[in-house]
Amino acid sequence: MIGLSHYLLVGAALFGLGLFGLLTKRNLIAVLMSIELMLNSVNINLVAFSRFSATDAAAGQVFSLFIIAVAAAEVAVGLALAYAIYRGRDTVSVDEMNWLKW
Amino acid sequence: MNFDALMLEMAVALLALLILVADLLMEPGQSRRKLGYLAIAGLTGLLLVSLGRYGMQGAFFNGLFLQDDYALFFKQTFLIGAILVCLFSLDTVDNLPHSRAEFYVLLLFAVVGMMILASANDLITLYVGIELMTFSFFILVGYVLCETKSTEAAIKYLVLASAASAVMLYGMSLLFGIAGQLSYNALAKGLTASPALIVGGVMVLSGFAFKIAAPPFHMWAPDVYEGAPIPVTALLAMGSKAAGFAAMVRIFAEVFPGTGYPWPLLLLLLSGAAMLVGNLAAIPQTNLKRMLAYSSVAQAGYLLTGMLSGGFAGVKGVLFYLMIYVFANVGAFAVLTAVSRHRNGETIGDIAGLSRKAPVLAVVMTVSLLSMAGIPPLAGFVGKFFLFSSAIDAGYLWIAVLGFVLSMVSVYYYLNVVKSMYLGAPADDRPFEIAMPVRVTAVFAMAATLAMGVYPGPLSQLAETAAKTVFK
Amino acid sequence: MSFPVLSTILFAPIAGAAAITFLPTTAGSTIKKVSAASMGISFLLSLMVFFGYNWQTGGMQFVETLTWLPEMGASYSLGVDGLSAPMILLTALIGFAGVFASWRVDERPKEFFILFLLLVAGVAGTFVARDLFLFLLCYEVVVIPIYIMIILWGSSKRVTKEYAAMKLTIYLLLGSAFLLAGILMLYLNAYPAGARTFSMEALAKAASSGALSPEFQKFAFFFVMLGFGSLLSMWPFHSWSPDGYAGAPTAVSMVHAGVLKKIGGYGLIRIGLLMLPLGFKFWAPLIAAFGVANVAYAAFIALVQKDMKYVVGYSSVSHMGYVLIGIAAADVIGINGAVANMFAHGVMSALFFAMIGHIYHATHTRHIPDLGGLAHQMPRATVGFFLAGMASLGLPGLISFVPEFTIFVGSFKAFPLFAVLAIAGIILTALYVLRVLADVLFGPRRSEWDGVHDLHGADWVPLVVLGAFLIGFGFFPSLLMDVVNSGIEPLTPLLVKIKTAATLWGGL
Repeated sequence: MIGLSHYLLVGAALFGLGLFGLLTKRNLIAVLMSIELMLNSVNINLVAFSRFSATDAAAGQVFSLFIIAVAAAEVAVGLALAYAIYRGRDTVSVDEMNWLKW
Repeated sequence: MNFDALMLEMAVALLALLILVADLLMEPGQSRRKLGYLAIAGLTGLLLVSLGRYGMQGAFFNGLFLQDDYALFFKQTFLIGAILVCLFSLDTVDNLPHSRAEFYVLLLFAVVGMMILASANDLITLYVGIELMTFSFFILVGYVLCETKSTEAAIKYLVLASAASAVMLYGMSLLFGIAGQLSYNALAKGLTASPALIVGGVMVLSGFAFKIAAPPFHMWAPDVYEGAPIPVTALLAMGSKAAGFAAMVRIFAEVFPGTGYPWPLLLLLLSGAAMLVGNLAAIPQTNLKRMLAYSSVAQAGYLLTGMLSGGFAGVKGVLFYLMIYVFANVGAFAVLTAVSRHRNGETIGDIAGLSRKAPVLAVVMTVSLLSMAGIPPLAGFVGKFFLFSSAIDAGYLWIAVLGFVLSMVSVYYYLNVVKSMYLGAPADDRPFEIAMPVRVTAVFAMAATLAMGVYPGPLSQLAETAAKTVFK
Repeated sequence: MSFPVLSTILFAPIAGAAAITFLPTTAGSTIKKVSAASMGISFLLSLMVFFGYNWQTGGMQFVETLTWLPEMGASYSLGVDGLSAPMILLTALIGFAGVFASWRVDERPKEFFILFLLLVAGVAGTFVARDLFLFLLCYEVVVIPIYIMIILWGSSKRVTKEYAAMKLTIYLLLGSAFLLAGILMLYLNAYPAGARTFSMEALAKAASSGALSPEFQKFAFFFVMLGFGSLLSMWPFHSWSPDGYAGAPTAVSMVHAGVLKKIGGYGLIRIGLLMLPLGFKFWAPLIAAFGVANVAYAAFIALVQKDMKYVVGYSSVSHMGYVLIGIAAADVIGINGAVANMFAHGVMSALFFAMIGHIYHATHTRHIPDLGGLAHQMPRATVGFFLAGMASLGLPGLISFVPEFTIFVGSFKAFPLFAVLAIAGIILTALYVLRVLADVLFGPRRSEWDGVHDLHGADWVPLVVLGAFLIGFGFFPSLLMDVVNSGIEPLTPLLVKIKTAATLWGGL
């Protein structure tokens, strides 16, 4: 029987994958995709919680709808910026972004 | 539905849309300065209107949105900050290569996001507010598309901020799992001590730490501050930080007490780390924007001490300090705008000899920096006094001592700037032109810093009234 | 309400600074006249305060009170008693003399005099404040003008002026960080929330009513001691002082050595002793020990200095040792002597720095081996230098003899060993002072100094004004001692009460 904990495990795994990708990928597009993974893991969590345990079932689902919408906006801005970088430097590798020193 | 509660947010959003439409009606080559004046006039009007709205209290839209004196105080802080930033950015915007009007539009949308954050009473509202503010900043930071530094700063900010909000969201989903609901009131009742609460709470705290630039989530600040256009940096420094604190204080005051989440310890560590890292890392900086970025990390540390006490006295200090921080910041960045326009750079060498070329601006810079350091009789001293006395009163003596010592250390790097301005030889002989709006902003910011240092009474009373609405 | 004398003393320099802001940068002589006029007003009024102070009745006089920040318990309240009346006179006196000592500042005079006047106003504020918050405000305000003045108008000799200025600033500010923490603790613990106040009288009452536990007092006093100790250049926090004075322009050295340091001693009495008496008593032996270290250590170093300003810088560190010993003795005679000695040292070191400033201006060197025989070419400056030197080694008939003698009498009962060591320090003082006087002023005439200018015009003012006090208070010490005593005598019950209190090392 598939229960809450299975969903949470998938969510956690997805979050971990996303975080790993964020830290290791050198390509900007891949980094943006990793962030999407993390956001989607949150969606899984929220929907699972509202299905199994929440007192206010609608709240979690509404929240995940908000996240989906905001994530779309984020990718739009992110890709636009990535394009601007690409035009300027012919690359979208994170390693090349060293004009500003940490 | 009570739309009156949302009046300020709606009005600012409408103002933004109005400017967007007016921009379409104007000739393409025409100066967009008028739209800037329109934004300033609109915001000033709203600020005046908002003064009469104290005492309005209550939750609206099924508890998603809370209107109280605390939120109102923050909204006024944002409005004042935005007005002053608009004022000294008029000339910067005039010189932008493209899309000038949209600068004001995005700036106003960022302000709307901050205002929503101040009123957030539910995790959804909190998230929407954060993202509205942050997205506007993504674009503003990367505003000059042909300037690669600016774009690079924007993409760095985007990646790190999105990652931070993803982490924060994951924490929120855990809190939701425990309590079953998303509104603060329900969370306060529903959260019970468990490992998931610790993990979720720490993740939410990291999200806030990113917004207020507290270590170890401060790494974005120096790069983004340096890359962004100066007015944006100014708004980012005070707006993002103030809005982060607005939301953070409310959630820490209303949700976490009584749930077994060890927040005082975490805040203590965060605060000490921020003061140490910010002040020590600022010392070797030669770019003034980077120096101010690290100094803003340190300011976050001072502000966090005000939250330790968990009472209204400390929160009053936070409110007071954020308001005066706006003035100190505006003063410093307005001067930097003038310097950067003249020299096309903002290093400590570019500011050399400023006292000979523009003595007024040199004084403004000195006063603003010393206020950040907390030297009397400037406002920063009173602010630190409120923050640290609340911490000592709550039994956290050593963090206050650390704060005092490190703020005196900070005088070292601030005085290096002063030294360069007064002792250094000017790098060129060209006459120094100061645009009128910049001069007005700078002098006004300095006057406010001095006035609130010498007579902090009215502002501190206002901050106290506001803080008391959070701690009923 | 009568004429606000103290506020006028405080605000005359500020008004002068404000007026100068509107003058053009080139109007050098007008700027100087405005500064002199505003300091002159302060000086005359402070003379009136000092000689008008009724020492027979004692207590706080010339009181002014305005509500300021009632929710914090801070008010704008000013007043002088026997402890602060000499100090405010000293401030205005040295400020006035300092303006004339800076008469030859021709580089960026506008900024110089604005900063100088703000500096003097800040120092004056600390002495007339009866409210701790006001005290703190004025206390820290002085550091920044000093920094800017040293880097702009200072001189680099052994160390660069930037280094000296930063060292001085950071030392003083770090000290003040601890002081702030200590005072905040005191403020928060003396009264419960809601009844808190910064009033110095009320805080002193809290201590005597037993609201502050001995443990708390010991703890808080340590912080206060670090703050005031570093300001007073207490060993081992003294090293900013000689470097700072050597780098600073003449007027800043005068104000700094003359009055600013005295805030340290004043604060130790006003805040340390009155508000944290048990803490004071506990740490007193340590203060006395540091005081002896000051006297001996700094005097030995002064012996071998080759730069005149370093000699006077170390000598002022050494003299502060006597003040520390006198205060630590914790009896009426000792504290009387300490306060009077602060006044005496202020006048004398200001005169010293003014004369060194003049000699340096004329000869462009402060290196003692390069100088000599100046009495031939500069007889007037020699008089001033000689007067200051004689006062420094405590010649009877000059201002510092009676205070120093009083300190030894007072401290001998409490710390016999330290008192003997400190008296021995006088021999060292005599050695280094006489060495400088002999090497700089006397000896064969040197032809390279034949053309130099002696004191003339405005240069006379510091010599005449400071010299008058040096001799006047030397011949009539009761003018000074009566006023001081009226401030210290009322402490007798407090001092008797803490006589048997616990001390560090069992009181030696």
